[in-house]
Amino acid sequence: MGEEALHQLIRGCIKQDRKCQKMLYKAFYGFAMGICLRYAGNREEASEVMNQGFFKVFTHIEKYDTTRPFKAWLGKIMMNVSIDYYRANLKMAYTEDLDSAEHVSNGDLVDKNLNYEDLLKMVQRLPQAYRTVFNLFAIEGYSHEEIGEMLHISPGTSKSNLHKARQKLKQWVMEADAPAKTNTRYNDGMNYNPVVAINTVDINGLFLNKGIRE
Amino acid sequence: MSKDKDLDDLFKRKIGDPVDEPAYNEADWDALEQMLDKGKKRRGVIYRLPIYGSVAALLLLVLGYWAFRQKDTGTTHPIKQQAIANQQPVHSGINSTATKSSSNGSVTTPGPAAIAKDIHHRKPGGLNNQPGFAAPVVAGHPITSQDNLAVENGAIVRENEPLSSAAPQTVFGAQRLEAPELAIVKLKGPAAITAAGTRKGFTASRQQPAYRPQFALNAIAAPDFNGVGSFAQAKVGTNEGLLVNGGISRRFFISTGVIYSSKPYLEGFESYHSTYQFPVNPVNVTADCRMLDIPVNLNYLVYKKSVNSFSVGTGLSSYIMLHESYKFNYAAGGYYQTGPAQYTVPGTDSYYFGVLNLNATYQRQLNSKFGLSVQPYVKLPLTNIGYSQVKLQTTGVALGLTWNLNSSSKP
Repeated sequence: MGEEALHQLIRGCIKQDRKCQKMLYKAFYGFAMGICLRYAGNREEASEVMNQGFFKVFTHIEKYDTTRPFKAWLGKIMMNVSIDYYRANLKMAYTEDLDSAEHVSNGDLVDKNLNYEDLLKMVQRLPQAYRTVFNLFAIEGYSHEEIGEMLHISPGTSKSNLHKARQKLKQWVMEADAPAKTNTRYNDGMNYNPVVAINTVDINGLFLNKGIRE
Repeated sequence: MSKDKDLDDLFKRKIGDPVDEPAYNEADWDALEQMLDKGKKRRGVIYRLPIYGSVAALLLLVLGYWAFRQKDTGTTHPIKQQAIANQQPVHSGINSTATKSSSNGSVTTPGPAAIAKDIHHRKPGGLNNQPGFAAPVVAGHPITSQDNLAVENGAIVRENEPLSSAAPQTVFGAQRLEAPELAIVKLKGPAAITAAGTRKGFTASRQQPAYRPQFALNAIAAPDFNGVGSFAQAKVGTNEGLLVNGGISRRFFISTGVIYSSKPYLEGFESYHSTYQFPVNPVNVTADCRMLDIPVNLNYLVYKKSVNSFSVGTGLSSYIMLHESYKFNYAAGGYYQTGPAQYTVPGTDSYYFGVLNLNATYQRQLNSKFGLSVQPYVKLPLTNIGYSQVKLQTTGVALGLTWNLNSSSKP
């Protein structure tokens, strides 16, 4: 969206024009959902959190500093809403951690078959506490001190959560990345190939193997 | 550690900025639109209600003042209408002199100024022209228009044309200054008769007798909305009670009574004030309060015509708590109740005159004894209410059945 068109939309939103709000929503839906999806456990949760974020956007749009990029402002709001949701659910944040993956071999991360959906699912499988820290450190790029402040935890806890998150993710990446090897996870070798074929088509269609091979 | 970095980068690349963004879902927008509508509507109601209320109050004050002024100037029109035996309730000051006569059973003389004013509007010789009246006699002489004109005319005579001013006035002024007492004494008989006679001509009118306090019982039931801070998450409560309306003048009446009120409401945790330290803060609190609401309201009758009347009122209410309990709602998903689930306040508290009432009432009389009323109202807190010390506000509509206690004295 062009700069001028965006600013026009924003002006409309300040006047609480419903049409402008909807257009802005649709324009940044994918971006916002992308952020919320990696913090949330599933699509429904992500939708709810994202709407809360947009609600904040629309009710505070007059506070947006037009000299700064809108996408960054929106992204920050989405992140904060996601973190608030996490903190409201603190008690459940560690409950899914049933198995511990302590010793995962540090093999090569050959990830040729891993697309967005796969990796997103892995992140969503993480217990919420690890997931949040992993997002903030690995994807957003915050330091452990900053994460500690945002989540009201100690930097030590942040480091520990990050480590555990990485362990799990590594394990799952390894498991998912061994399609050709005898893989007991799949019931039937015969069934696997068609899935791969479909996967390949998807990958070609969407990613063109972009960035998969180093 | 570089492996860790690789892992981080892998995820960052793939899901940090996905090439293919999640597909748009219209249902998500619908959900957001509902949130936006709710926020706007409730805020709008709260802003608009006080404005409408104050505009209405101002208009009513102006109207009321204007109506009062009409009464005092005492034009000829009310007198004409007297002849036609109509139902107009509001009459001029002439009416009041009539009422004074009838209530006392004797003639009271209005002050000279009033008399002079009345003389202005009288035609000479009017008294003898009127049908149905034997000319009153004073010491053997029939009363002429110049004699004590104002006294009789004020109570009795149906004049059609205004008086030409000069002569009678001066006659009165010169000759009659001391006459009024004589007139009173001498005219007692016939004046009283005619006064009584005219009373027959009067039809049912609220102001017609000297104002006697009127009492009515009002049984009401009301559903209402209760909210804290705004009506965004208002809950419906119920009220039932008995009120007594007592008139203190033609236009004003006081109402008071007892209403049993059940007020549930939802408050965000930030509004919940208590000294208790929660291990985990709940998101919000559902309150269940039952209380006696004792209002004392002053009402002004804006308009009354035959069976319909409209009044507005304001006043203060006191709440006497009978039962207060709070249920704490923790965050979504809440498998864990990490803190208290609910709390019931021991004992009862009272909040005297802590609530401001604003209401408007439409009442319709079914017969002389009973009537129905519809009363939208707003209750705004002046102090913090309840154990959790919140600004609890209420709006609702009360339906009532009114029973006039002294309907026998109504003409």
